[in-house]
Amino acid sequence: MTGKTARLIFWVGTLTSAAIFLWQTYDFHMQTPKFTHTDKLTEQVVAGKKVWHKYNCNDCHTILGFGGYYAPDMTKAFYRLGENNIASIVQHPEVMYKNSFRKMPQLGVSETESRQLVSFLRWVGDIENRHWPPQDEKYVQAYRLRETQPQKLDKVHLVLQACGGCHTFEHQGRNVGGDLTDIANRITYDRQTLINYMINPQSVRPGVAMPPQDVSPQTAGIIADFILSLKSTKEVSK
Amino acid sequence: MLIEYQSQRVSLWYFRLALVLFILQVIMGLWLSINYAFTLPQELVNVFPFSTAREIHTNVLVAWMLLGFMGGTYYILPPECGRELYSPKIAYAQLIIFVAAAVTAVVGFLFGWTRGKPLLEIPFPLNGLIVVAALLFIANVAMTIIQSKEKSALQWMLLGGVTFLAVMYLFGMPFYRNLNTDYYYWWWVIHLWVEGAWEVVTASIVAYIIMRVTGVDRKVVEKWLYVETGLFLFTGIVGTGHHYYWIGAPDYWLWWGGVFSALEPLPIVLMVVDTWMHVRERKNPIVNPLTWYYIVGLAIYHLVGAGLWGFMHTLPPINYYTHGSQVTVSHGHLAFFGAYALLNLTIFYFAMPRLKGINKYQDRLGKWGFWITTISMFLLGLVFGIAGILQTYLERFLDIGYSTAHLTMMFWFRVAFGVGLVFLAGVVITVYHLFTIKPSSIPAPEPAVTPAANI
Repeated sequence: MTGKTARLIFWVGTLTSAAIFLWQTYDFHMQTPKFTHTDKLTEQVVAGKKVWHKYNCNDCHTILGFGGYYAPDMTKAFYRLGENNIASIVQHPEVMYKNSFRKMPQLGVSETESRQLVSFLRWVGDIENRHWPPQDEKYVQAYRLRETQPQKLDKVHLVLQACGGCHTFEHQGRNVGGDLTDIANRITYDRQTLINYMINPQSVRPGVAMPPQDVSPQTAGIIADFILSLKSTKEVSK
Repeated sequence: MLIEYQSQRVSLWYFRLALVLFILQVIMGLWLSINYAFTLPQELVNVFPFSTAREIHTNVLVAWMLLGFMGGTYYILPPECGRELYSPKIAYAQLIIFVAAAVTAVVGFLFGWTRGKPLLEIPFPLNGLIVVAALLFIANVAMTIIQSKEKSALQWMLLGGVTFLAVMYLFGMPFYRNLNTDYYYWWWVIHLWVEGAWEVVTASIVAYIIMRVTGVDRKVVEKWLYVETGLFLFTGIVGTGHHYYWIGAPDYWLWWGGVFSALEPLPIVLMVVDTWMHVRERKNPIVNPLTWYYIVGLAIYHLVGAGLWGFMHTLPPINYYTHGSQVTVSHGHLAFFGAYALLNLTIFYFAMPRLKGINKYQDRLGKWGFWITTISMFLLGLVFGIAGILQTYLERFLDIGYSTAHLTMMFWFRVAFGVGLVFLAGVVITVYHLFTIKPSSIPAPEPAVTPAANI
């Protein structure tokens, strides 16, 4: 190979690749509004993104898979946890993760900031990113089904995906708030109290760490039936 | 005379500061592994969270890499151009600005002063100071090259590489309202650095060092340099797409990103081949075996850490499961160490003895440092790899939930902490050896080709 050929390889290689890449960048900008629903990218969402940066969330949590690998991915966190849970966790991590092997710092996030953060995460959750991360897709599906037709859901899936962000059931879910079977055998609430408890825990047990859940009374009823059924199953099996 | 030009001496302070930062980076890395390995008290987590430690670990990494590149450039430029640097004063001023900005940034991180954008956390106006330092550096390099009588491909490649590096940094500076656009341009900095600009700088510096120590003909070395950098940029630029699979971007990225990034190991293979050939066809005898350990070690580790480890999870069907897991940590450590930490250490072992007027140095301690760091970093890569595959399997195949999957991390990060301590020992030995390098009592063999014949 001559020196001239080598130079040619360098220039052709570099310029071809750069040209393709610049065209793709142009196309990316054309298509981003569709993929990320920029019509829903409100000032509240941008304020939430600033909160995300202010507390350096991204050096522990990944988002879109990028960042620190120390804490769960936040891309679909809105679907996994729901609004009130996110707000409670970021404001009171020392309470929420009291028994956890890994801690989240108490950073002094205000109520306003946490709601802005939720708006940001809700918008991020809707980015059309080919259903990544794989482990959170079930929460997205369950959330959408819960919104539209709760009666059609398999009860186990409904409960796990609504409650699995904090509770475990048969070794699935995140064990922050205890196992559902244990809870079922411990509680003495009737169906209506349990529904009230889910929608506003403080009204039933003041001081409890569980945040109010964003579920309709109808869905809460299905979940309550399921939890109460765990109690009887357990008794029968004994 | 080992140093042909007095202005080459400015590089010594770049190297010294880089080595100190290297130790700080490793200590911070050990602290990160403790965060994974044990449950820390809430009070400690509140004042010094993992996120702060991670931003120090990564920013100090970038700082010592850039110091090594800049110092290395200042070291090789005068003999390559056949003249003194345009201005040693600018070189010192730029060093002071850069280090002052970096140190202030690290202290600021401890108090929560951050942009909260991974790897690019340095807040305004400190990142502006970094840009000023970079502009001074480029101006100094460009003026030295323009005013030199000898023109070479290597000079222009080096100038092109550092300019490309500095320009890409600018894309990380604005605030982007849209997270997906934010990360699109974030990769213009991170990816186009490590798989673009930094590779060009590496290839140029390695070409220079090989030419100087082997006495191989300049024409041959520069020919390889053109082909390698050409392939690096051809595969690397469109290869950026392997970061765009899951950010919400058109489907064609899966193909363009997958195919081009799968080709990225090719130029690294060429680098291994050409290093090997030049060692075999050397005209000069080997004076310092340890410098050669580093040159060959760099080529092989670069291929394994960046090439092989990167290739393993670059294709979309695999990346769907491994993206954003400890697998990336494994790749990141092996690639940064294999390609860039070893490049810097190669530069240091080439330049620092000469700056002290030593031709052949005592290398017993340095060899210990070499083997301890390279082997323990490889083990560390394996430990992170196992942890990553386990995490991916438990969390994304068995679907058992993040916290249960991460409970298994505690064991693997205790192992990583142990291996990390060994790595730290190796780094301390290497740094101590470089700072106290002494002439060897064994006489050095006479070179067959004098450097001057090459220029």
